[in-house]
Amino acid sequence: MPEAQKPLELILARNLLSSISTPAFLVDAEGTLVFFNEAAGSLVGRRFEETGALGPREWGEAFGPFDAAGDPIPWDQLPLTIALQHGRPMHSRMHIHSSSGDLHDIEVSALPIVGTEGFRGAIAIFWPVGAEDGSAA
Amino acid sequence: MKATVWGARGSVPAPGPETNRYGGNTSCVHVSLDDGSELVLDAGTGIRPLGLAMTGTAERIHILLTHLHMDHIQGLMFFAPLFHPKTDVIIYGPASPEASLMDRIARYISAPLSPVEVRELPCQVSFRDAPDIEWQIGSASVRASSVAHRGPTLGYRITEGDTSLAYIPDHEPALGASLDSLGDEWISGYALARDASLLIHDAQYTDAEYPAHMGWGHSRITDTLAFAHRVGAQRLALFHHDPMHDDDMLDGFVTDAAERWRERGCDPAQIAIARERRPLDFARPRAPDASASSASAPGSAARSPDVTSA
Repeated sequence: MPEAQKPLELILARNLLSSISTPAFLVDAEGTLVFFNEAAGSLVGRRFEETGALGPREWGEAFGPFDAAGDPIPWDQLPLTIALQHGRPMHSRMHIHSSSGDLHDIEVSALPIVGTEGFRGAIAIFWPVGAEDGSAA
Repeated sequence: MKATVWGARGSVPAPGPETNRYGGNTSCVHVSLDDGSELVLDAGTGIRPLGLAMTGTAERIHILLTHLHMDHIQGLMFFAPLFHPKTDVIIYGPASPEASLMDRIARYISAPLSPVEVRELPCQVSFRDAPDIEWQIGSASVRASSVAHRGPTLGYRITEGDTSLAYIPDHEPALGASLDSLGDEWISGYALARDASLLIHDAQYTDAEYPAHMGWGHSRITDTLAFAHRVGAQRLALFHHDPMHDDDMLDGFVTDAAERWRERGCDPAQIAIARERRPLDFARPRAPDASASSASAPGSAARSPDVTSA
């Protein structure tokens, strides 16, 4: 029997993210970006179908988060990384570049996913600053 | 491995003249292994008549619970072997961070719902969280895995030699996403059911009924067929019949399912519907010509592709 099946918690999380218009990333317990939804794709300028899964540091570099001073935010200080490594929620504000070079000012909340059999991964949702009208994407 | 259905109804027992042919008891399937080991899949009300049939025949019985919704445990306290001091009953079920399996089941087998407490059961009973790795019961290997339903819920795969049974009676794998849009590893239950000799799967709703029940943890027939096709099951037994579905409706339901299976380019003899007190067929379907007639016309047991005709 194949062992590649994703944990149910990640399957359900992906189904949820694929059904909502809030931009969101899903990473597994190893830190691999295993899915991002269409709304997140609009934000970063690429569709998940184009990028496929990205390794732990690949996705950090691919979307190049910057702080308010324009300095790159180290991978281990990203909210998603903190949720992964420390198993706790994290929220912060940052800037990202889309593939077209547009700079987005966003807020990010990351949440760990813990199943009955332990830590499964994390979700990060993004909110473009200034999108208070509810149309985040 | 032999398997017999003792209850195929979902949600709540539905006894009555209009359900006599397919049966009104809730989920329960008896599995006998070649080495004599006895397994019982779920403890819906079908386990009561099963227990009467088993009395005195088994020293050890393994009950595999998929989850603890009432239609899957309601018959447990009426299972006769629980009242035989020499019988060893091992009950497996989903783990929960909230309480042990025994404590959760004891909520049902205790006052005010029951006159008998778990600790008063005369048999030797033990409760075990289903392991997250494959384990052995007699001559079979057993695998449990969480599947998409409401609350902690397992599916099981039982493999003996080259025969495998996948039992996923409560399952909504297409919730929030079309199965056609998902990679194999993203489909709930895929690994459990892949290439199974027989897949017993939730088929509670028609496509018309499903929108009003989306998210309740059950499948519409379109998704059941898509899942079975995707995993490459050699046979599919439609299970967990809605209590509103009477015999005549189920006759047409399975005939329609078999026709839709044929439209996928598959042999309609692979499609069956679970019926109480009937054995399930593990053998590969006969030649298409011989099987096609069994699904060709609705309206009678002889013409419907039930588990004995397939």
